[in-house]
Amino acid sequence: MSERSMARAEGATVQPQLREVPAVRMEAVYKHYGDFTALNEVDLKVAKGEKIVVCGPSGSGKSTLIRCINHIEKHDEGLIYVNGTELDRQRKNIDTVRRDTGMVFQSFNLFPHMTVLENCILAPMTVNGMSEAEAKDLAMHFLTKVRIPDQAEKFPGQLSGGQQQRVAIARALCMRPKIMLFDEPTSALDPEMVKEVLETMKKLAEEGMTMLCVTHEMGFAREVADRIVFMNEGRVVEQAAPEEFFENPKSERARAFLDQIIH
Amino acid sequence: MSHFSPTAAVSYFFNYFLMKGVLVTIGLTVAAVVGGLILGMGIALLRMSSNPVLAGAARFYIWFFRGTPLLIQLVVIYSGLPQLGIKFSVITCALVGLILNEAAYLAEIVRSGFMAVSVGQREAAWALSLSPWVTFRRVTLPQAFRLMIPPLGNSINSLLKATSLASVISVEELMRRSDMLMQEHFQILEVYAAATAYYLILTSVWDAVQRRLEKHFGRSSAAKTRRVAASPPVAQASVEARA
Ligand SMILES: Nc1ncnc2c1ncn2[C@@H]1O[C@H](COP(=O)(O)OP(=O)(O)OP(=O)(O)O)[C@@H](O)[C@H]1O
Ligand SMILES: [Mg+2]
Repeated sequence: MSERSMARAEGATVQPQLREVPAVRMEAVYKHYGDFTALNEVDLKVAKGEKIVVCGPSGSGKSTLIRCINHIEKHDEGLIYVNGTELDRQRKNIDTVRRDTGMVFQSFNLFPHMTVLENCILAPMTVNGMSEAEAKDLAMHFLTKVRIPDQAEKFPGQLSGGQQQRVAIARALCMRPKIMLFDEPTSALDPEMVKEVLETMKKLAEEGMTMLCVTHEMGFAREVADRIVFMNEGRVVEQAAPEEFFENPKSERARAFLDQIIH
Repeated sequence: MSHFSPTAAVSYFFNYFLMKGVLVTIGLTVAAVVGGLILGMGIALLRMSSNPVLAGAARFYIWFFRGTPLLIQLVVIYSGLPQLGIKFSVITCALVGLILNEAAYLAEIVRSGFMAVSVGQREAAWALSLSPWVTFRRVTLPQAFRLMIPPLGNSINSLLKATSLASVISVEELMRRSDMLMQEHFQILEVYAAATAYYLILTSVWDAVQRRLEKHFGRSSAAKTRRVAASPPVAQASVEARA
């Protein structure tokens, strides 16, 4: 326990601990769409409890990268291990990895024909075999955590975008994932709703969740990330602690990107 | 002799012989819908499969049965197949023809319903490690079904009327029995007025059922559909604004 909290206190400068199995390990991963190379020899290691922000220009492969981690996208070459389980196309391993990871999408992807509560209990009941009562308790616990327990009986269409995204986070948490993947969770939101979602994510980060976030929210990145991973044209071009990345980007491409984003 | 006897028309409407024809029409329709849906779902699945041979076979089937008149299909099954030594009873011929034909239409309706459920829904199900069966049964099917109800309703309305073609191969449904009464009494308008009234009643009842179904399954989703449809452009705009 003390080791873990020290690691967090020292923040980004701490190297992933070698004796611990990393949360994510990618080695020379390639992903092609026809002739197009979406991931080009990507190496990435994420320690347990680490918070990574992935950024880069549009089309640089950020979504592809995190979608390969839970096998929603299938990588073509290279190795991916999640909590020590290799994504080698064996159904059993894919299932293990998906159970270890939760994902939050830009467009929420809540099930529109189910209430908020039904959205949250479906996987715990059908995948983990929980009783309905247990699953509801669990769901209410996480809905309370994302501060919308009072919306449990509503349908997603009756909620604001920010509320829907918080439900999506709660729904993912109900499977008690060890790693959370976020793909631009605030990009589809009106500006006034971005904050409530980022606050929820910060809280999750404080609790020690391993997180990989694709986001353009640089304030969030500075505050929460242990490390920024900058991608361009399918490659991981640069990885650094936020201070270092923002003050002193090494690559020309990252400088141009930051100039553009900050104006 | 220009004359129309309303009382005769009413008496044909309550004619027991004609009423039994109505029951046959209803029976044919129900059986063709059920059979057509089962076969149609199978064909839709093949059509969506990644195997080009299976998908091609399904596509051919749909092309063939939607591209030829039901009347020819019925006549070929009834009078043509015996030439090859394949012989069914009249009612079986009608059912086979109606089911094969209806399946082609329903396959396309089922397929477009499933295609219209966004991939994001399936991805969310995968990310939650839902099994393929639960994903189908609880996530995609209910949403696809809601989208299928309006075209399904139209197709069933057409089918209800198309069963009258079975009269040509001597199935004694509503149309055939009207013809028989007409030939017996020569009260053409009166007999067909009764038959018309029955068809209108049947299609109207079905319309009402369809509206109830739409209302029931649309209940929770109306607001959501609008919001989801609206969100991708918003996303794009904010990304662009940021870049
Ligand atoms: N299914 C696909 N078929 C073909 N090309 C694809 C597919 N998915 C992604 N791509 C391409 O791969 C590249 C990387 O896509 P990806 O979605 O990972 O980019 P991104 O960094 O997330 O961009 P954005 O910021 O726009 O979300 C893009 O050029 C995209 O056009
Ligand atoms: Mg993306």
